[in-house]
Amino acid sequence: MPMYGDLGNKLVQHAKRTQNLSHLPPYQTELVRAVAREIRDLDKDVASLLEPFQGSFDPSAEQATACTLLVNHLSMRRNKRCLLAYHRIRTDKLEELVWNGADILDLAGQTTGGPKGVTEGNEGGGTTSSLSPQEEDYFRQFGDLLALYKGQWTDIDLTGSLEPPRDLFIDVRVLKDAGEIQTEYGAINLTKNSQFYVRQGDVERLIVQGYLQKLG
Amino acid sequence: MSYYDIDAILTDAEKIPCTFQIDVPDLGYLDNQPGHTLKSGSRVALPIWLAEMLAIANTGTIDMDDPSQSSKSFITFDLPPALGNDVVQALKADPRSVPLRDQSAHFYALATHMMELSEEPELSAVLRKTFVSRAAEIALHARKVGGAGGKGKGKATKDDNASNLGVGGAGEDFLRGLDEWERKLFRCAHDGTKASKEWMENVKKR
Repeated sequence: MPMYGDLGNKLVQHAKRTQNLSHLPPYQTELVRAVAREIRDLDKDVASLLEPFQGSFDPSAEQATACTLLVNHLSMRRNKRCLLAYHRIRTDKLEELVWNGADILDLAGQTTGGPKGVTEGNEGGGTTSSLSPQEEDYFRQFGDLLALYKGQWTDIDLTGSLEPPRDLFIDVRVLKDAGEIQTEYGAINLTKNSQFYVRQGDVERLIVQGYLQKLG
Repeated sequence: MSYYDIDAILTDAEKIPCTFQIDVPDLGYLDNQPGHTLKSGSRVALPIWLAEMLAIANTGTIDMDDPSQSSKSFITFDLPPALGNDVVQALKADPRSVPLRDQSAHFYALATHMMELSEEPELSAVLRKTFVSRAAEIALHARKVGGAGGKGKGKATKDDNASNLGVGGAGEDFLRGLDEWERKLFRCAHDGTKASKEWMENVKKR
């Protein structure tokens, strides 16, 4: 017998699984909608229960009704908590991805793997984004916010690697066409499958984004 | 315990046995009988998030003639079977041989929550002892798994094999029986051992 709050629980179990994954699983649109619908239904029940009392409800005189109202209220509150927790887990993950320099396009078509090259065979359906439209918005705007914040310090790259480089220059192979980039030593045209000896600082972002692969 | 804590939310979904103290016409569905009145005295298993408030909230009756009736709750509740006498006795006998996970995936969280709701001095003492003796065992396993994982480079094989004697199958059963909190402990101990080992190897290289 399904009960109020069961769907919310499912959502939280999804969140639990998400916690242990390196990528973001698809947004549970249907489940979120169902939980929100449940809240609206409960709210309607409450309204119709209270209607005959015309705003003069006395809980001690109507104990059974008071109990039903409490159960409905608690169910709504529970659902709200489940919804918020689910979305919070996901936004935390999104913020982490922004800090790691993930590209929204990579997230949208998560078939070849996550931003760090994690291969995921079981996701399927490469054309659908695993983000909800609102989450894509959040991702973009958080990216803007981070860029604005970083802009205050032109000398320091806050999202740069924390590992001190062993060598100033490194060999890289181009995995995806990345166009032309400007370096201190002139322009380099990064075409797929070519190989370069470049200054690490110049291409760090591109490595993180998966355009280049560090060799050796 | 935060509002957004996933494990706290899942713990709140654990069901505990409750007894209704009043008739409620609209709640028959809680006892698998939608449309029927939920009779006073019905025993229903309710999730903690529901039972807790129903047990605390009083029905608001203020009866001047009989004060004992004045603060009757909607429901009363008992300890869930996971914390029942059988389990407590088994824990007293040997904490390490009880697969807590089979009782509840959030065994300790459930127990602490229940103890907030009702006074259980004996249970608290038993659980404290349980955790301490199991934690030692967990730490032991966490270190050994790190060695046996075979991620090491070369050398350490002989020592590791030796230290894994007697852990084999019984160890696996024990680890499967860990509750969520103990699993976290295990992971911390395991990752810590691994990290310090890696660090030591790096130091030697330089």
